[in-house]
Amino acid sequence: MSNLAQKFRDRRILNRLKNRDKEAFIRVYDQNVKDIYRFVYFKISNREEANDLTSMIFLKTWNHIQNKTLEDAKTLRALLYKIARNSIIDYYRENNGKKFTSLDDQDNKLEIIDESQNTPEDLDKETNLNLIKSKLPLLKDEYLEVIIMRFINDLSLEEIADISGKNRGNVRVLLHRALNALRELIEKEQGSNNE
Amino acid sequence: MDNRELIAKLNNLKSMNPDSAWLANNRELLLSQISNSGAENISAWKAVLINFSSVARIASRPVFSLGVFILLLLFGSFFGRSLFLNAKPNDSLYIAKIISEKLKVNTTFNTQERDKLALQFATEHAQAITSVLSDPTFNNEANKDQVARLNDNFKEEVATVQNKFNKLDASKKMTRPSTANPKLNSDFALIDDNVVIADSARDKQGIQLIDSAANQIKVEVLESTKASSALSSLTAKEAKINLASSTGNIASSSESAPEVNKNGASQILDEAQKLFDQKDYSQASKKLKEVEEIIK
Repeated sequence: MSNLAQKFRDRRILNRLKNRDKEAFIRVYDQNVKDIYRFVYFKISNREEANDLTSMIFLKTWNHIQNKTLEDAKTLRALLYKIARNSIIDYYRENNGKKFTSLDDQDNKLEIIDESQNTPEDLDKETNLNLIKSKLPLLKDEYLEVIIMRFINDLSLEEIADISGKNRGNVRVLLHRALNALRELIEKEQGSNNE
Repeated sequence: MDNRELIAKLNNLKSMNPDSAWLANNRELLLSQISNSGAENISAWKAVLINFSSVARIASRPVFSLGVFILLLLFGSFFGRSLFLNAKPNDSLYIAKIISEKLKVNTTFNTQERDKLALQFATEHAQAITSVLSDPTFNNEANKDQVARLNDNFKEEVATVQNKFNKLDASKKMTRPSTANPKLNSDFALIDDNVVIADSARDKQGIQLIDSAANQIKVEVLESTKASSALSSLTAKEAKINLASSTGNIASSSESAPEVNKNGASQILDEAQKLFDQKDYSQASKKLKEVEEIIK
């Protein structure tokens, strides 16, 4: 039932966007901007570029809908991610494949939301998160993508399959391999720190 | 660190958000950009219309699919066969004819009607095969494989006709005892039984004859019961035997017709098969027409 309601909401917002409804676009933006930003940011590892690309992705989506080429994605969210993937590919192409290898620069230190409770556990958590963050760009592109979509942005397997053009089983396998690869990188880092 | 722990940590990366000032500025910027490309606030009635069409589109999907499926089923079962009626076994459309026939057979719920339909279709298939094979432009060396396949198909169709005949005959025999329940304990019960049999044969043999036969039996039985004190037990038994034999005659006369049909059809089918084996296709076709007449 909730699935049907979600489909209805999606369909309604798509119809409103097709009718050039400004309000619908703002709603789509508010609902998805953070997720799309995170997706772009973890992929290109640069805050400024991520800002620009995110903005461009929403504009491209708007144009895509107006040009009536919407039916190639099952949901609006899937469409946004598809456009985001293509925009990132274009971005790499324009920059001759240049990629920032670490998210762990001075500007991008991860902040724990509740700063009033800086207990040793929080500090440990922050260190762990920064370690994960630093290892994410070292993963293969397809591993990184599925990890962001599934475990950071909470997309369903169906949505990931739709976005990446794979079937559910392949996505599941890819997720498993991606997690193992990330865990190995982290454990390797922790091992060398302990030595 | 196991996968579960890692996933929990990855979940915490949700806290990685864009700058709120950038978010607000970018929102305004995008709004102005899309306004330039014709975006506007839609009117209330248009919003209602969009909501309605969205609901209709979502709701229509399963209903629509089901509707189309039912329509196709009905269309296929009623008109599908007539569309491909002239398709021959060597045509590419013949498979469509077979499918539509199967659809029609499977959507017939009365078992006897279904068997009859299957019997009719199998006979028609066999006839179609003979007509195709009687054509010398088709039945030659070039189409050797197809001819061999059609020969096999003919045998299968004839076997199907035979099976369906047997099945129909068996089902007729199954229904017969339930209508003519043998209540042979008393003489009056025997009379009732005869009347039932006579009723069932009324269309064929005429009401006058059957009624008179029943009356005759009734009189005989009444006389035998009235005179039971005077007559010896032996004569009473004789009367009973006479009565039983007369009812037996009536019953056997009504039962013999389908038996003849079944045996006749079986014999004709055998002959058709022999003629087909001798490559006398026109005669085989005639025999199959006879079988078709019996079915009708």
